[in-house]
Amino acid sequence: MKEQISALMDDDLALEDAKYLMTALKANGEASKSWSTYHLIGDVIRGNRVLRHDMTASIMQEIAKQPAVLAPQPSLVKSKQVVWSVAASVAAVFFVGLVVLHQQSQEANVAPIEIAQAVPADYLRAHQSMSPSNAAYFIQPAAFSQDK
Amino acid sequence: MKKTFLISIVFAFLSLLSGVLFAAQDDAWLLLQKASQAARELSYKGVFVYQSGNTSKSVQLTHMNYAQGEYALMVVLDGAPREVLSQGSDVVIFSPKNEKIMIEKKRGQNMFPALLPSNMDAIKSSYQALNGALERVGGRDAFVVNLTPKDQMRYGYKFWVDIEFGLLLKAMTLGERGDALEQIGFSQITLMGGQNMDWFKPKFDPSKSYEMDQEAPAKANAADMDWDVAQLPSGYRKVDQVKQSVHGKTLPVTQMIFSDGLASISIFIEPLAKGARPKVGHTVVGATHFFALVNEGHQVMVIGEVPEAAVTQFAKAVNFKNKK
Repeated sequence: MKEQISALMDDDLALEDAKYLMTALKANGEASKSWSTYHLIGDVIRGNRVLRHDMTASIMQEIAKQPAVLAPQPSLVKSKQVVWSVAASVAAVFFVGLVVLHQQSQEANVAPIEIAQAVPADYLRAHQSMSPSNAAYFIQPAAFSQDK
Repeated sequence: MKKTFLISIVFAFLSLLSGVLFAAQDDAWLLLQKASQAARELSYKGVFVYQSGNTSKSVQLTHMNYAQGEYALMVVLDGAPREVLSQGSDVVIFSPKNEKIMIEKKRGQNMFPALLPSNMDAIKSSYQALNGALERVGGRDAFVVNLTPKDQMRYGYKFWVDIEFGLLLKAMTLGERGDALEQIGFSQITLMGGQNMDWFKPKFDPSKSYEMDQEAPAKANAADMDWDVAQLPSGYRKVDQVKQSVHGKTLPVTQMIFSDGLASISIFIEPLAKGARPKVGHTVVGATHFFALVNEGHQVMVIGEVPEAAVTQFAKAVNFKNKK
């Protein structure tokens, strides 16, 4: 799924071939999250200044959480710079966090495989060999366990 | 007066009926008990056929009980050649593999026709036994005994027991809808006498080089396990736990084996390696059900000749003590 999203963004996957993916993007929260994350990463790499909507919304939230500055402000221009530098550092931290999170989730959640797609012959053999009574083990385990 | 007479007749009839039913149950268990003993004590020679799914194999069996103990030789007649020699509880399996002969030694199991446990009490709590009709198997007359499971945690079985010698002639595993999942039975059998031991040797070419298979798996230490199996389905008990080295796995896999006396289930648990694709879900091959899930960073896999409900329940009963 994630590979497909990435391919679609890089124009490696024709839109016509991605009907299932588009449906998933519309329906599935996780898929559309990957979509916007990848766009965000792409934007940052290309140096685009315009960040995606998810990103901006969360930055604005972070800014809203900042304590209000009560000291008298010397000039309007300078205060704008402060806000922007806060925004930039929040964005940088957020981006690094995203990348790290993404890597971690890739390590921990390798896509599981349906057991029906890969019947574990070795485990079956181990099961048969240890069962108190199992006719199959003595008669025909080899044929099954060798076709792996 | 007439009314009380009628009631007493009905009552007498009912008690007679239940008496007959109980007697039938007892008879059936007695027959199975006898079949369990006969398979070990008698000397016989014959050919049996094992059928499961699409596979079917004929096996020539010689089983002799001499004063010094039990000896058996099984020669698989169809497909890949394979011979099994057993003496007492020691079993040696010979199978050719690329110009070599693989030799595998292991502890004995209940081999056909000695499939039934020696103690029937262990399975009485899980199954109901009933005598069926008389049928002919392998040229011999047999009593049919039906074992019906008391819950959905195991299959039913049908056994054919020789009228004259009490030997188990045929066994069938029945699915939840009464369909035959697996069967094993004599197509021909002869009772034997004598003390000749000439037959007790493998038929493989002795000039070929041979290779001993790896050692038996090591016993697993309960203290090493940070999980337990909570709430076993009734009738099942743990018979063994070992560390298996599975092909392609660097770390040994812990295997726990459970049995209700007839059906057996294995639970395999291993920590998930980084980047390894875990297996999930359910599948079935012949009578064997598989269920896999991921729990607390471990791969849990359950395999057993039992219905889907049982493998699912066993997989979900694995409880990790140190939750992350």
